[in-house]
Amino acid sequence: MFNNKKVNIFLIIVGIIIFIFLPRFVSGYWVRVITTIFMYAVISQGINLMSGYMGYLPFGNAMFFGVGAYITAIGMGKGLSFLAVLPLAALTAILVSILFGLPVLRLRGHYFAIATIGMSGALLSVVQNATEITGGAMGTTLPIIDKSPEVTYNYFYLAMLALMVITTLTIYLIIKSKFGFGIRSIKANEEAANSMGINTTYHKVIAWAISALFTSIAGALYAYWMSFIGPEEVFDVMIAVNTIVIMLIGGAGSILGPIIGAFVISLLSEVVWSTFLEYHLAVLGITIIIIVFFVPKGITGAIADFVKKRELRLRKKVSV
Amino acid sequence: MEENNIILTIKSLSKYFGALKAVDEVSFEVKRGEILGLIGPNGAGKTTITNVVTGTYPKTSGSVIFEDTDISNLKPYQIARKGLTRTFQVVKPLIGMTVEENVLVGSLYGRDKRNTDMKNASKRAREIIKLVGLESKKDSLVSDITLPDLKKMEFARVLAMEPEVLFLDEVMAGLNPAEVEEASILVKRVRREKELTIVYIEHIMKAVMGISDRIVVLHHGRKIVEGTPQEVVNNSAVIEAYLGKRYAKEVNNEG
Amino acid sequence: MSLQMLINAILLGGLYALMGIGFSLQWGISGIINLSYGAMVILGSYISLEFFNLFHLDPFISMIMSGAILFVIGAAIYRTLLQPLIKGGIVFTLILTFALRLVIENIILKVWSADYRTIRVTYAGSNFQFGDAYIPLIKFLAFIVAGILIYLTYLFMMKTKTGKGIQAVALDKEGAQAVGIDVEKMYLINFALGTALAGLTGSLWASIYSFSPHLLGSIVGKVFIIAILGGLGNIWGAAAGGLLLGIAETTGAVFFGSEWQEALGMVIMVSVLVWRPYGLMGKKFFG
Repeated sequence: MFNNKKVNIFLIIVGIIIFIFLPRFVSGYWVRVITTIFMYAVISQGINLMSGYMGYLPFGNAMFFGVGAYITAIGMGKGLSFLAVLPLAALTAILVSILFGLPVLRLRGHYFAIATIGMSGALLSVVQNATEITGGAMGTTLPIIDKSPEVTYNYFYLAMLALMVITTLTIYLIIKSKFGFGIRSIKANEEAANSMGINTTYHKVIAWAISALFTSIAGALYAYWMSFIGPEEVFDVMIAVNTIVIMLIGGAGSILGPIIGAFVISLLSEVVWSTFLEYHLAVLGITIIIIVFFVPKGITGAIADFVKKRELRLRKKVSV
Repeated sequence: MEENNIILTIKSLSKYFGALKAVDEVSFEVKRGEILGLIGPNGAGKTTITNVVTGTYPKTSGSVIFEDTDISNLKPYQIARKGLTRTFQVVKPLIGMTVEENVLVGSLYGRDKRNTDMKNASKRAREIIKLVGLESKKDSLVSDITLPDLKKMEFARVLAMEPEVLFLDEVMAGLNPAEVEEASILVKRVRREKELTIVYIEHIMKAVMGISDRIVVLHHGRKIVEGTPQEVVNNSAVIEAYLGKRYAKEVNNEG
Repeated sequence: MSLQMLINAILLGGLYALMGIGFSLQWGISGIINLSYGAMVILGSYISLEFFNLFHLDPFISMIMSGAILFVIGAAIYRTLLQPLIKGGIVFTLILTFALRLVIENIILKVWSADYRTIRVTYAGSNFQFGDAYIPLIKFLAFIVAGILIYLTYLFMMKTKTGKGIQAVALDKEGAQAVGIDVEKMYLINFALGTALAGLTGSLWASIYSFSPHLLGSIVGKVFIIAILGGLGNIWGAAAGGLLLGIAETTGAVFFGSEWQEALGMVIMVSVLVWRPYGLMGKKFFG
């Protein structure tokens, strides 16, 4: 976003420290709101990797959130600890992404987006109907942590914060790596990428697996945090839609975009919910339309344009 | 330059689109280190051959032997990794990236069995950008540069892949005579420095004649003549069939 | 499969066919995946409901109003919101039409609430016998009307100057532009035609079944499946896709249980996408 790398790293570390200590200064309500924001930022990063950087819109990415949540619920229901079940949840999501990804990642553009919705819908039905394992459409409960609510919420706040930081850092490192150039080339021109020696199928499948990994961990944390989940809730296409909007508003293909977008959208909908209770859907819809119209590159894109313009102006002044 | 050392053999290669025989039983060989001109009027099958050899289209029949292996069933990325690559008739830049990043991608991927860690690849990319004379544009987005620069960028990108054989598909198309001249000099110089083998697909006759060691002439998907530029130009079949009119016209146009 | 089941499947499929065509045209020709399509269908139902409550107008008549109103709404939406964004690619139009869905949904909830509504015409209970199967008169009428509307859409595309213009744009945008066709106007008319078909379907739906904003999501799911089965922008393809979905849902409910109905549709759609990305009909556009 800004040009000085050291300043950036410093600002980010200060930001993380502020967030670590924030729960001491705000109410429990806001701790929960910000935990949700972190969660949305993680899911949105998964979408950003696929869509913002690689050009494949994973409209059905909520399925990995659902898989993560349900594997956690089932595993903990069988007496496993959360930390034992977490790798299982992530591994299952990765397997699902590879199994589904191999056939559908051959599809371009619209078709890929739609196929993932179809898969998400089919998985939802499976979870709803496999009542004996999943508890069916009525949902299922998880063990509750035996501590005061305040301590529990702080625990999830910190866990979600850590997940967001790790996700963002990992994706940042991926984007700067050889693999990152590979996936960005796929977005830029898949045919050219292929002719340059990039195994596009391999890159697409791996990118989706990484996306699935982080999304499923967010789902696992969410399930444990809520201690009750229903299939319609964790496989909701709205999760993907919200996080796509978040990515667009923050700035697609920008590493801090999803985080900024998650804060803007979530805080905005807090305000909308409380002030326009009956019209919150319409206000949200109109807000999205306005943002898509007037800030098409997202907030980070708009800032980058502003900085670029200012630099050009400065350069002109100097040359005069 | 080693004589008679065959690097690429195209053996009775065919590509049909339904009833259309775009490439029909074409055979020729490419010697290590030469520039082979591949010419013919529109629809002769030049680009289709390029597409089949580099794996973009599946073949209908025949084979393509590159350094003793049949590559005719491989995917484009596998062929690129073996060291055979191409430019596109219509430039395909990686939109949204800078010139340097475009070349870097070629440097990072491209041919197998070489050092492609970020540091080495970046160094190589910068050297090649310098070689083709794009240094001043290296931080420009590819969407902001002119067509001649885009062509240079694409050329730099394939060079960064360090191929052994390079198919240049109408790299001169859209350039003015001065730019064509400049590009020809660049291609010849790079070929010498990098010890490249080039298959040069072209429309502009003057450029082909000046640059090629040998020429293969295609017409309606078939090979009609093969030989040195002199032999091809003087071949009555070629002139009468189609080259005469066309060549005369081109020469007139370019003064 | 019994005769009764087959008839039920075909009657349902006819309605799906009409419903899917509008969506398929909008996606295949104007390039817009219209996530607000379900909201537009249901809006058509409520328009018929209003005409029925106010003037006792039969949905088979008020459907003309639904179609006209939705045509105007569609044209307005395209001109003001979609046309400027279409170059931004699928992410933008997806998000925009989704936002539109939220707005329309909110309006419906506010004006008519989330309750299920029905329109009960006097002949709602009539049946007639065909072999050993019973055919509800109203479903039969709706099927016939849907068939006529599909044929009229086809005629419009094949016989009128505008229809031919839309076809030309669908086949070759640059070429159409070169021969002087106003490409943007064709996209606009095609999109508005799509929303009009959504409204018409909504009215027909309202004459038979109850409706509420809860149906929005599942309608969008169904039109996706129909459009993919038939091949985008293909009228007869979408018609066949609609019939096929009707049959799959009806028989699927019998063999697997109705709880698997939606999953079955999704699995069929993904399979078609993977194995026949141009749809079962295999042709991309008309005919």
